[in-house]
Amino acid sequence: MVLADLGRRINGAISDITKSDVVDENAINLMLKEICNALLEADVNFRLVAKLRERIKTQISSQENITGGNKKRLIQKTVFDELVALVDCQTEAYKPKKHQTNVIMFVGLQGAGKTTTCTKLATYYQRRGYKTGMVCADTFRAGAFDQLKQNATKAKIPFFGSYTETDPVKVAKSGVDKFRKEKFEIIIVDTSGRHRQEQDLFDEMVQIGNAVNPNQTIMVLDGAIGQAAEAQSKAFKEAADFGSIILTKMDGHAKGGGAISAVAATNTPIVFIGTGEHITDFETFSPKSFISKLLGIGDIQGLMEH
Amino acid sequence: SFAFLKKYIGLGQTITEETLVKPSNAIRDSLIKKNVSAEISEKLVGSLKPRLVGKKLKNFTSAETEIRGTLASELTKILTPNTSIDLLKEIYTKKSKHPNNPYVISVVGVNGVGKSTNLSKLAYWLLNNKFSVLIAACDTFRSGAVEQLKVHERHLNKLIDSSSTLNSKLKVFEQGYGNNSKVAVIAKKSIQYAKDNGFDIVLMDTAGRSHADSKLMAPLKDFALAAQPDKIIMVAEALVGTDSVLQARNFNKSFDGTGRKIDFFIISKCDTVGDLIGTMVNMVYSTGIPILFVGVGQTYTDLRTLSVEWAVNTLIG
Ligand SMILES: Nc1nc2c(ncn2[C@@H]2O[C@H](COP(=O)(O)OP(=O)(O)OP(=O)(O)O)[C@@H](O)[C@H]2O)c(=O)[nH]1
Ligand SMILES: Nc1nc2c(ncn2[C@@H]2O[C@H](COP(=O)(O)OP(=O)(O)OP(=O)(O)O)[C@@H](O)[C@H]2O)c(=O)[nH]1
Ligand SMILES: [Mg+2]
Ligand SMILES: [Mg+2]
Repeated sequence: MVLADLGRRINGAISDITKSDVVDENAINLMLKEICNALLEADVNFRLVAKLRERIKTQISSQENITGGNKKRLIQKTVFDELVALVDCQTEAYKPKKHQTNVIMFVGLQGAGKTTTCTKLATYYQRRGYKTGMVCADTFRAGAFDQLKQNATKAKIPFFGSYTETDPVKVAKSGVDKFRKEKFEIIIVDTSGRHRQEQDLFDEMVQIGNAVNPNQTIMVLDGAIGQAAEAQSKAFKEAADFGSIILTKMDGHAKGGGAISAVAATNTPIVFIGTGEHITDFETFSPKSFISKLLGIGDIQGLMEH
Repeated sequence: SFAFLKKYIGLGQTITEETLVKPSNAIRDSLIKKNVSAEISEKLVGSLKPRLVGKKLKNFTSAETEIRGTLASELTKILTPNTSIDLLKEIYTKKSKHPNNPYVISVVGVNGVGKSTNLSKLAYWLLNNKFSVLIAACDTFRSGAVEQLKVHERHLNKLIDSSSTLNSKLKVFEQGYGNNSKVAVIAKKSIQYAKDNGFDIVLMDTAGRSHADSKLMAPLKDFALAAQPDKIIMVAEALVGTDSVLQARNFNKSFDGTGRKIDFFIISKCDTVGDLIGTMVNMVYSTGIPILFVGVGQTYTDLRTLSVEWAVNTLIG
């Protein structure tokens, strides 16, 4: 993950102000400008950046009686907390339960990384002792079933799909029914890529959802997505009511700012990130450690202490 | 609309650098919201200063007209190709000189942007222009990549069967999966196959790769040297944010030492972003490489020539 640039700029802005003799409004504005520019260049949604700026400003100015070294610490802490708040919606994602069937449905834009991530997540649960299977309900994308099949075979995960059935609702239902009967604990349903501008594709997603009745729907988002993240993720939330987000391609240069904005837009937590094309390129996500890493500090305590 | 300018610019006043700050920021922000990178937005807005400072505005409309005109001409300058994007003409020219050599086009780009899909759209377009097409499956890495092209082969052949205007020859050349050494071999063999079997065009698919990973980028050079493509097209998606700038630069740089660079962009998924089409500005601005087509959907006909006028109006409308 190449977050270093963004982290360096934000850190630079914070340390400039903590090194300067006077911490007046002007200095704070300068710091905020630099932080906001860095966030914008990392694709964080425009309005979120504006909001973050205001929040940091009011919080710092509401504590005017704090001065000197304490003021600098206050600034550090406020910036850190607000950055964490950006990626932390304080909502818990669904946790699959053992000894019962947990249906997990994947949704997202074209090419976001759904099919690849299905196998990553299936592997994650299989290794934790869940009986796990995958269903390919993408009957649209050329070669989709072969892709899932080859991935599943490599990872030794049972799978279901069809070369002849063209109705994704039917395939999804048959696959989930079959695995349910066989007492699978995790059933992951892959679906076609779609976008909000195509109502038919959205309707189809809703129908698949109705047919398989997922315990949890996950939106997969490309970590490099830009300002379109907000409108798209909102539309997916409305239609599919996903309960968590997985960011992919975080091994690139992108800083995930667009995708992070989807958290605020939909009040939905990020649970995992994908960091490569291989099955094991997969990490759990925690807002605090993400921001700590971003700012290049080992732990949150570290920031509070210097 | 730039109606917000009214707030900042008074009538009858002479515009100074000072009075220009707020409207400039507002315009910069409107560009960022449309996915133009912050850096490029800043530069675009910078073009307003020399045109406006010192001017006295008779009425508000003239301010808007002036600002809009300046931005439009800057954006038009960026987006208008300064080399020919008439690919068909180039193919005809080369074919008339070397009738037995297939014209080779390859697509490259990061993961999942739409390389294989837009390659098959290109195939359809070329068939429509009476060329026979061999698709070379040079993505030997991603699961299902070969089968994906075989499905397109089947679909396109069905279209050929039911049409009297398409060239009737389309085939996928594949040798399954394998490591990088296989890619160059398939590339060379496919060209030979095309020569032997009278295919006009070879379209080479390649695996998606992260431009941040030098281990994955390095093989592009070997590929270019082995395939000697007549044209290298980078596919990038309209959805991507400011990473577009580095994607374009890094892919272009990856061919250093081969005497080649990227010839064209295809900007895919333009149907998914509404008016947030700033990515295309980022890509072209940071490399000078022209846009051959934009992708506007998932079917074979969803490949369009970019209307620069439309793009400019969408960005500053
Ligand atoms: N570098 C990198 N590539 C990834 C990651 N996750 C997925 N990919 C790649 O992204 C491309 C698209 O992934 P898919 O899983 O096919 O995406 P999808 O969302 O299923 O695509 P559609 O079904 O067509 O909508 C493939 O080349 C994957 O190998 C990741 O975390 N890092
Ligand atoms: N909406 C829309 N979807 C597109 C467009 N072009 C491609 N896609 C979709 O994007 C997804 C990925 O397309 P692919 O052609 O497999 O992408 P790729 O770059 O070859 O992917 P990898 O080989 O895995 O790196 C598929 O679901 C395509 O249908 C487009 O112009 N608009
Ligand atoms: Mg898929
Ligand atoms: Mg491909």
